[in-house]
Amino acid sequence: MKRHLFWVLPVVTGIVLLGLWYAAKALFQIPSFVLPAPDEILRAGWQERHTLVASALLTGRGAVLGFLAAVGIGFLISMIMSFSIRLKQSFYPYILMLQMTPVIILAPIFALWLGQGLASIVAITFMICFFPVVANTTMGFLSVDRNLGELFVMCKATRWQEIRYLRVPAAMPYFLTGMKIAGTLAPIGAITGDFLAGTAQNGVGGIGFMTIAYFSQLKIPALFATGLVACLLGFLFVGGVSLLHWLLLRRWHESMF
Amino acid sequence: MLDDITLAAGPGEFVSFIGPSGCGKSTLLRLIAGLTPTSAGSIVVGGTNPEDARQGVFLVFQDANLLPWRRVAANVELPLMLRGDSRDSRRSRAKDMLALVGLAEAAGKFPWQLSGGMKMRVSIARALSVAPRILLLDEPFGALDEMTRDRLNEDLLAIRERDPFTAFFVTHSVAEAVFLSTRVVVLSANPGRVARMIDVPFAYPRAAELRETPEFLELLAETSRALRAVLPPT
Repeated sequence: MKRHLFWVLPVVTGIVLLGLWYAAKALFQIPSFVLPAPDEILRAGWQERHTLVASALLTGRGAVLGFLAAVGIGFLISMIMSFSIRLKQSFYPYILMLQMTPVIILAPIFALWLGQGLASIVAITFMICFFPVVANTTMGFLSVDRNLGELFVMCKATRWQEIRYLRVPAAMPYFLTGMKIAGTLAPIGAITGDFLAGTAQNGVGGIGFMTIAYFSQLKIPALFATGLVACLLGFLFVGGVSLLHWLLLRRWHESMF
Repeated sequence: MLDDITLAAGPGEFVSFIGPSGCGKSTLLRLIAGLTPTSAGSIVVGGTNPEDARQGVFLVFQDANLLPWRRVAANVELPLMLRGDSRDSRRSRAKDMLALVGLAEAAGKFPWQLSGGMKMRVSIARALSVAPRILLLDEPFGALDEMTRDRLNEDLLAIRERDPFTAFFVTHSVAEAVFLSTRVVVLSANPGRVARMIDVPFAYPRAAELRETPEFLELLAETSRALRAVLPPT
């Protein structure tokens, strides 16, 4: 029995929560346009499935592109900043500034520069994902064990060898942690992107866009279904990054044992 | 801080440094390795300065200092890879070195799968892979239990029979110093100075039984007295 608790417990909790949901709805006679029942949400989701799938793909594309850009550029910038403490001192405050400026303010500016649509959405996702990657990866590049560094000095390693065989692998756990955080943020970034700078074709836009559309049409069960889709998209993202984390670190890193 | 250390060691010597904490034993090795620049005085390694002589010198660090993401064999290969040896030659060299330290079967393991003593053996195999003329050992067995330490001491001498490098060895253990060395240098602290040099006359190969002979015990006592004389009063 004990072995099965890890899945039995959450399932039981889920059933209890669903029961409470139905009970509250019946007890307080909450109308469906305020709080739809779970089965109404699923039915609405099924009815709108073509729209929702297309919308998830659209948002997913923005999220993936923004995420990859943040990971790639973040990794490179971290590497460059780790070369020289002066470079880091010069640029880090401004990277921090970018992070501190709320995306909700930057979004209209991006829309102004890049126009409504994918480019702006990618840029907004990038802005949200960039900092966790840079902060963690820079930390990783700078946390190389000193003795290991001296081993490389003693072996007369070139700068490039030191980066490739020492700094990059040593930074990997930090980089992946940054990536994990960025992974949870990327769908949120892309949804915020379609919310603020999204466009639609034939009435189908990204998840953020559909949120506005369903709300204005008072299709509240469909709105809830959109939330469910967004949640699934987030899990997919985090799952992918976690898989990568596992693949790269499972053999040697303490976090895997 | 080191002051007025004059020491010449010829090929094949095994010189141990022993002294109170902070006397600069490790610094001395780092100077020879060219990892710390000298502020005064000079160090000549194989007729040149330590930085240029690095090719023939290898330092075995206090902890094994292995790369956790590389398998044992890849760790041993690392110095060879960094200097650009071909894959085949470094593979076979790493295999030989692991056999030499008695860890042939651990080649495919990761460092976390090894005990402290095994890690140290890998570290020594890595150092020997470049066939250094001078091996610097900075308290390599300090963190190990006495039995493992004795075993590794014997193994180190056995390896040296086949691969006669010159060794500079830092330790806190008098027994270890006397067992291994041709010469024990007792350093005093603040600043680090040579307090005594004790020649160890026993011929190689030395067996474990040497530790029980009266001559060995006598020399051990003498070294301990010399060390006690330089320890700061408590």
